[in-house]
Amino acid sequence: MHALDGLAFDIAAGQRVGFLGPNGAGKTTTLKILSGLLHPSSGEVTVAGFRPQARAPAFLKTITLVMGQKQQLLWDLPPAETYAMNRALYDIPRKEADARLGSLVELLDIGDLINKPTRQLSLGERMKCELVAALLHGPKVLFLDEPTIGLDIAMQARIRQFIRDYNEAHGATVLLTSHYMEDVAALCPRVIVIDKGHLIYDGELKELVHRIRPDKRITIRVSTPADPEVLARLPNLVSHTDNQLVLSVPLPRVNEVVRDALASLAAIDLTVEDPPLEEVMRELFASHQQKRQPA
Amino acid sequence: MPPVFLRYARLLRTQLSIASTLAMQYRFDFVLKGVMALFWMALTMVPLLVVYAQRTSVAGWTYPEALVVLGWFALLKSILDGGVTPSLNMVVEGIRTGALDFVLLKPADAQFLVSTARFEPWRIFDLIGSLVILVYAFRRLGHAPAPAHVAAAFVLLAVAVLLLYSIWILVVSASFWVVRVDNLSYLFGSLFDAGRWPIDVFKGALRFVFTFVFPLALMTTYPALTLLGKLTFGSAALVVGGGLAFTALARLAWRGAIGFYTSASS
Repeated sequence: MHALDGLAFDIAAGQRVGFLGPNGAGKTTTLKILSGLLHPSSGEVTVAGFRPQARAPAFLKTITLVMGQKQQLLWDLPPAETYAMNRALYDIPRKEADARLGSLVELLDIGDLINKPTRQLSLGERMKCELVAALLHGPKVLFLDEPTIGLDIAMQARIRQFIRDYNEAHGATVLLTSHYMEDVAALCPRVIVIDKGHLIYDGELKELVHRIRPDKRITIRVSTPADPEVLARLPNLVSHTDNQLVLSVPLPRVNEVVRDALASLAAIDLTVEDPPLEEVMRELFASHQQKRQPA
Repeated sequence: MPPVFLRYARLLRTQLSIASTLAMQYRFDFVLKGVMALFWMALTMVPLLVVYAQRTSVAGWTYPEALVVLGWFALLKSILDGGVTPSLNMVVEGIRTGALDFVLLKPADAQFLVSTARFEPWRIFDLIGSLVILVYAFRRLGHAPAPAHVAAAFVLLAVAVLLLYSIWILVVSASFWVVRVDNLSYLFGSLFDAGRWPIDVFKGALRFVFTFVFPLALMTTYPALTLLGKLTFGSAALVVGGGLAFTALARLAWRGAIGFYTSASS
């Protein structure tokens, strides 16, 4: 029984890549192999020109691994103590460390937190402080395993923006796993999807959505409930309530459907979007399951 | 001095400063633990007092001589409990919870990092207590140890600490495979407790085990003999050789064990 099997991919420097898969697909295992924590039983892994399992100091200074469910901050002490420790561990000259710490603290707006004991911080505050600990040495390769888990929407958006800024400012490579599809949609032009240790998709996120769900999603808000007759005429009604209708329409027909809908409904708002990423993923995994177990 | 040495000295200083900040966070706890330590130290003398209440010599050791072994044992135990065990207990816990991930991600020797992660500064009370026992023992003997013997004893102390540490690393290495080593570390503690008695008290298989397998004799009896001016050169060489052999073995075991780290899944 292998946790990963025949998994192969390349990531160019500076890319932001989403790493997706259902629970137990092998995402975390892959990240741990890439960061040198686990030794693969066979196969070849190269990260930034290094063999991760050799754990060469130069390699470890190049990467970082952030795990949403584990923390490196010392529980009873303020984050500043962990930062001091990391500065010594990574051999960062004091001036450089101070400058980088200053800019990270400012970006994440945690100036008043880093001298409070970690145990007194909220989950979101802790994650921000955790990110600083993980990035103090200026890594070029970021492995982020569920960095936004358990955080509220505003905090998720904040962390996402921060990761994007870091990637752009430092040309760092980002490989991200997340249960929140918004993270992936907002951050990663490319996704790698695995299931039970097998690669099932590697490519542009847009292309994946288009392939699995070529239809667009049209959401119409209405001021008065739609006539049942009109409803019956509408193509592919996904859901409807008294004040909202959702349709799934192939791209070439979008114009025509929008025109008809506006003519026959008391529409007050209308949006045309891709179907939700959650749905796309669900369908991708379901079709993969079917392929693996032919009836 | 080579830069590597300086770098690790700097790391050690940072680790120590964090450990003392931690200890000082709970000052009341610090004092309380110190008082408790002295109480336990007094209690460890009881078996010896009971045995020597009936006779003047056990296996060729007089009461004050046996006290030197006990004092030495307490000294070693205070160093072990203060500087070695807290860190290594943390590793065992870290292997189980996956917290070791962050140690292995750092660009420094992992064995060094796990071995210096925690200190319990309040064990200084035990250390003082052990010195009191040693001073009292030599007062009973009626003479002070010769300076050369004290110097030699310090060398053996360093070797004994190295030995204990190496055995601990072997136990920790085992935990990469078996994950739960509560029993192993309990066994370690119980075996170590036998070190309070001069090795001559033990006969046959036990004596062999305590000299070569779990070398308590090298850790407490021989250094005590050194202080008493009775250790032969051969025995001293055995202690140093044994210490180095165990250190090398522990290093090998640790290197091998890391490859088996499975990291708790998140």
